[in-house]
Amino acid sequence: MLHEILSALIEVATLQNLLIMTAGIWGGVIVGAIPGMTGTMAVTLALPFTFYMQPVPSILLLVALYKGSTYGGSVSAILIKTPGTASAACTALDGYPLAQQGKAGKALNMALYSSVIGDFVSNISLIFFAAPLALLALKVGPPEYFMLMLFALTTVAGVSGGSLLLGLISGGLGLLLATVGEDMYGSFRFAFTNDMQSGLAIAPVLIGLFALPELIKLIVLRAAHHEETAKLGDQKVTRTEFISSLRTILKGSVIGSIMGAIPGIGPSAAAFFSYGEAQRSSKNGKNFGKGELEGIAASESANNGACGATMIPLLALGVPGDVITGVMLGAFMIQGLTPGPLLFQTNIHEVYMLLIGMLVSSVLLFFAGKVTMRMFSYVSHIPQTLLTPLVLLLCLFGIFSISSSMFDVAVLLGMGLVGFGMFLLNIPAAPFLIAFILGPMLEENLRRALAISRGDPSVLLSSPITWIFSVLIIFVIAITVRREIQKIKDRKAVAA
Amino acid sequence: MAKPVFRGLLVAALFAITLFILIPPFVLRPAFIPGFAPPPDMWPRTVCLVGIALGLISAASGGLNRQIADDPLETDGSSRLHMVARFGMVVICFALFVVLVPSAGFLISTIALTLAAILLTGERGRWLWVALLAVGGPILIMMFFHSVLGTQFPKGILTKPFGF
Repeated sequence: MLHEILSALIEVATLQNLLIMTAGIWGGVIVGAIPGMTGTMAVTLALPFTFYMQPVPSILLLVALYKGSTYGGSVSAILIKTPGTASAACTALDGYPLAQQGKAGKALNMALYSSVIGDFVSNISLIFFAAPLALLALKVGPPEYFMLMLFALTTVAGVSGGSLLLGLISGGLGLLLATVGEDMYGSFRFAFTNDMQSGLAIAPVLIGLFALPELIKLIVLRAAHHEETAKLGDQKVTRTEFISSLRTILKGSVIGSIMGAIPGIGPSAAAFFSYGEAQRSSKNGKNFGKGELEGIAASESANNGACGATMIPLLALGVPGDVITGVMLGAFMIQGLTPGPLLFQTNIHEVYMLLIGMLVSSVLLFFAGKVTMRMFSYVSHIPQTLLTPLVLLLCLFGIFSISSSMFDVAVLLGMGLVGFGMFLLNIPAAPFLIAFILGPMLEENLRRALAISRGDPSVLLSSPITWIFSVLIIFVIAITVRREIQKIKDRKAVAA
Repeated sequence: MAKPVFRGLLVAALFAITLFILIPPFVLRPAFIPGFAPPPDMWPRTVCLVGIALGLISAASGGLNRQIADDPLETDGSSRLHMVARFGMVVICFALFVVLVPSAGFLISTIALTLAAILLTGERGRWLWVALLAVGGPILIMMFFHSVLGTQFPKGILTKPFGF
């Protein structure tokens, strides 16, 4: 085994492979940082190039793009409150307030450190727990999935800082919007036009909800921004700040690794879940959403932590964990490799090369992130009156390029208005988004569970796993309600 | 009416409209549903019922805690009417953009929308940057997407003879 590992290490450490991974990471960071361009887009566009490459370098290129884009999403989330990817939505909650306070560099550095650690832990988990975790995930059925997602939603609703009730309302609106289009049995719902038959795409909803309200706020409210943007070079994360966030980073990495290993969950849900858990357990919980470094650490360690872990079911069972690993499954097939238990017997050398390459890419992510951070830092020096219209411009072109659909562009603009309305009403946007993403899976698993149980709802409490999640949901609600009652008492006392 | 009460009632009304007015005609039950699978309207109805309940609870909670006001919005001190007018301009600009694309093409429409957005933010001083961003920006980004990704942006009926 040691011989195999050493041999794989030597083959990975060639200049060609290192250049491929560096290009992949860098390209991914840039793509992830551009609003409207997603990691899926980067991986899909790179797929044709892999036809002409060896199997392992081609997969490493795609993995590097995936990792880079997941981190890259945090750059625009922090600097311009526009998450480049859905998984960076939570990062914007604390990253942008920090950037407004002139601490963009600190936020970007914390995002980078958390991403690299999360990524590294994820790769280690991939190496050690691929087969056992994937087998466990395989035993999870529709009722367990439903309860897991309900738990994730409840946590996210509690995360939104202001109020659990408003978080739940936001989640409800997101769930409702997610029902637009064709359902799992082919029935159309709320399909007012032909374009709506396939439902609303995630990208325009995400970008519209997070990016455009900033422009509309600037136009309508014209609140003065007096904050001076500090130079990134002066904004290092101090040793104390890093150590105080380390627990959250490690916890987020583990959450990301576990949730990433469950097919269908992916980095977005992992980031929201980790953020909620960090807010609940941190002594700085009340500062979350106002510019708390720990919030960034929780979100970024989990979303990058999920990246490597999504490869667990792909490699061990041939089941893609999300859309991107679905594309990678295609890349494996093109290269004549069939992911699954047999891969570990017939192509163990390639598996070792891949695992070592992923570890190396974690290190490359650090350096690529440092370089790219300086490049993007100039964004924070652009006046808001020019920057926000530039964001609008990028969003318009980015969204149109994804699907060549003017309907998606209209959805983008419409969601911008909705996002502004939600801002005026103090309804948080994050639960809306995560509910919109998880909604179809939540519904599908509920309907499957009910179909299996012949309509008996008690199926949702039929196994130990569902009971555990039920208890956790009640626990999260109780904790959040208690915190809110205390907050109301405090505010009443202040008002009196 | 206090904002929390209004918000709760608005949310409840939104879900109620969806439940009673939109779901019956726009979420049709198929003639045949396999096995014991729940019908397609089960989930939207459930979400709406929960949404109505949450909205009403939110309104009631707002009414009970009247002394706790939401944090005030940070503005430039303009009157409410002025701000409503600005919001109206945003809506009109967005709508015009969508309407304009088929006739003027994506590029011209984007230039117009970007310029409008910059001017609506109150930017008046940096004219060179405004021109570069509003005109140069869309051209550069379009060239990037066109050459790198091969995206074909819509050409307008009126501008097609000019190639965009």
